[in-house]
Amino acid sequence: MSWTIAVGVKQVPDDDEVGIDPDTGRLDRASAPAVMNPPDRDALEAALTIRDQVGGEVIAVTMGPPNAKTVLEQAVAMGCDDAVLVTDRAFAGSDTWPTSLTLARTAEALEADVVVCGEETTDSSTGQVPPGIAAHNGWAQLTYVEGVDARPEEDRLAARRDVEGGHELVAADLPVVVAVAYGEFDTRPAGLHRKIYAENDFEPTQWTAEDLEIKEEVGLDVSPTSVGGMETVDPVDRRGEVVDDIDDLAEVLTEVNA
Amino acid sequence: MSDDNGSGIDVDEYDDVWVFIEEHAGEVMPVSWELLEEGRTLAEKLGDELVALVIGEDVDEIAEEALARGADRVLVADDPVFEPYRADPYGEQFRAMVEAYKPSIALIGGTHTGRDFAGRVAVPAHAGLTADVTEIDVDDDGLLQARRPAFGGDVLATILCEEHRPQMATIRPGVFEAAEPTGEADGEIVAADVVVEEADCISEVLEREVGDTADITEAERIVAVGHGVEGDLEPARELAEALDAELAASRAAVDEGWIDGARQVGQTGKTVRPDLYVAVGISGAIQHLEGMNKSGTVIAINNDPNAPIFEHADYGIVGDLFEVCPDLADRLEGDLQEVVQ
Ligand SMILES: Cc1cc2nc3c(=O)[nH]c(=O)nc-3n(C[C@H](O)[C@H](O)[C@H](O)COP(=O)(O)OP(=O)(O)OC[C@H]3O[C@@H](n4cnc5c(N)ncnc54)[C@H](O)[C@@H]3O)c2cc1C
Ligand SMILES: Cc1cc2nc3c(=O)[nH]c(=O)nc-3n(C[C@H](O)[C@H](O)[C@H](O)COP(=O)(O)OP(=O)(O)OC[C@H]3O[C@@H](n4cnc5c(N)ncnc54)[C@H](O)[C@@H]3O)c2cc1C
Repeated sequence: MSWTIAVGVKQVPDDDEVGIDPDTGRLDRASAPAVMNPPDRDALEAALTIRDQVGGEVIAVTMGPPNAKTVLEQAVAMGCDDAVLVTDRAFAGSDTWPTSLTLARTAEALEADVVVCGEETTDSSTGQVPPGIAAHNGWAQLTYVEGVDARPEEDRLAARRDVEGGHELVAADLPVVVAVAYGEFDTRPAGLHRKIYAENDFEPTQWTAEDLEIKEEVGLDVSPTSVGGMETVDPVDRRGEVVDDIDDLAEVLTEVNA
Repeated sequence: MSDDNGSGIDVDEYDDVWVFIEEHAGEVMPVSWELLEEGRTLAEKLGDELVALVIGEDVDEIAEEALARGADRVLVADDPVFEPYRADPYGEQFRAMVEAYKPSIALIGGTHTGRDFAGRVAVPAHAGLTADVTEIDVDDDGLLQARRPAFGGDVLATILCEEHRPQMATIRPGVFEAAEPTGEADGEIVAADVVVEEADCISEVLEREVGDTADITEAERIVAVGHGVEGDLEPARELAEALDAELAASRAAVDEGWIDGARQVGQTGKTVRPDLYVAVGISGAIQHLEGMNKSGTVIAINNDPNAPIFEHADYGIVGDLFEVCPDLADRLEGDLQEVVQ
């Protein structure tokens, strides 16, 4: 038995490096370096765990500009067997509807048994892409997953999900889309040889919208939502007073509580 | 047909404001009632009807409560296939109802459940789905303006869905206030056709453990613990008792399993707005601040003078939480006794 496991990774601006534009005083995201979406590291680890359980191949997939190739190299360094860069100008302006369509068609083309994604991204953080992939393909889905248990003899994947007011164990028929809860899968370290290979010799497969036969079904035109405007949120004004004496703090608390 | 917008969808065919009532084993999630109240405001502005959607098994009482809380109509899909919740039957049933009744707006709580199945409705319906909304309104043309934080909360983006229907949104729990039922229930309950069958389901719930179902969104005082407590909740609990406060947590503390997810504050947790918020061993990451920055007075206890939380607090003390919390609790209890005597 062996499964084909696709894992979605997205390039996002590095949260820690977002500076302030000196001219406008606004946050300047464009100049922040791009990194792998941190929750996708959990997804990679979950995908590798499933491969450990059943055997097979883990293929990293990203839809993005040509320079998103670096997150694929990172994924290969971390243990993925192969990677696909889905890139096309036609994707520009895509909301989650065409984005998940593109990834759904990619998963079909790879004949994936499982697609593993992160919980949400740190940029637009909708969390809508994984259920969207499942919906486009009519596949099962498991979101907010904290543990995976591959059951090849049943053609199912069981997973522990974090749900309202508790946890549940759910088994889903293959093919299935899994969205992993952020912070639940500690990533194994990337091996040095793998790293050297990923950076020097590895080249991802490249697919365009035409390759996936979705040229007319992507981009701004088919996206039902659009961003009407963006405002920078000013931090709430607080006193920021640090007291030395615990009695002063007790006094404040008593006042607030009165 | 006045379908001239290129999407193949005639937006004029769609009206009414829908609110999904999320229930698990007969318990309604508080966010559903928050949305019903907010949905009424939208419906009134639009001159539309407010429709509550109830999916589950044996949900008559919940349907009645939705009427008592102001729904003009309640659509009910009642069948054993819906208990416990699974994404595929819920998504398919909701989608079929959207197709049959054509709502203009559909609001769903941004819980794990709501965010799990909403896409299974929006994708086949080719509806616009806005995620994790914290502000909603309608403009003069009746278009939904859904505002949502992005980039960890640095930005508030307004998302529109001009040419597709319904305009769907998942809404973060705790940002709106629920109203008490008025008791005047003159709306109607309509049984919807159940379109899913167990045999077609592609997932199966094998086990379910019920955890903590605390609702921290209504708390007036909160003591929140972070990674700094290192698994020992006792000092924070002592302080919470002295303040008569609810215990809450950062995601890091929840991920460690020290405290249940129902008590998580932040971008992927709850939004709270207590009069008093005490952050104990919490660094003040943007995703955390987003869930608590509407609080009244914010107090920080942290042993790192450079922790960002101090900039986002009204008062702070640099110190070891294992000493500060019990010490503070003692003093507060002392003060309380003074008041009583
Ligand atoms: C400010 C802002 C707000 C937005 N709000 C909305 C909105 O409310 N509704 C809407 O439909 N669109 C919205 N969009 C558009 C949306 O961000 C894009 O479609 C985006 O490409 C995918 O959404 P996400 O980053 O939220 O992914 P999420 O759904 O949060 O991602 C979850 C997981 O899916 C996988 N994944 C996601 N994208 C990719 C990718 N490109 N390649 C490989 N794997 C991937 C990753 O594993 C990731 O961890 C918004 C865009 C902006 C800039
Ligand atoms: C997509 C996404 C969504 C997220 N959603 C959320 C969310 O909803 N809520 C949330 O909280 N986070 C969320 N996070 C995580 C967030 O980025 C931070 O990692 C998290 O908030 C850190 O938690 P913390 O402050 O408890 O831990 P840390 O950052 O580890 O901080 C611990 C603090 O405790 C202090 N400390 C240590 N020991 C002591 C002591 N003895 N006495 C006093 N102080 C001590 C330290 O100085 C430090 O400041 C999200 C992240 C991502 C990527």
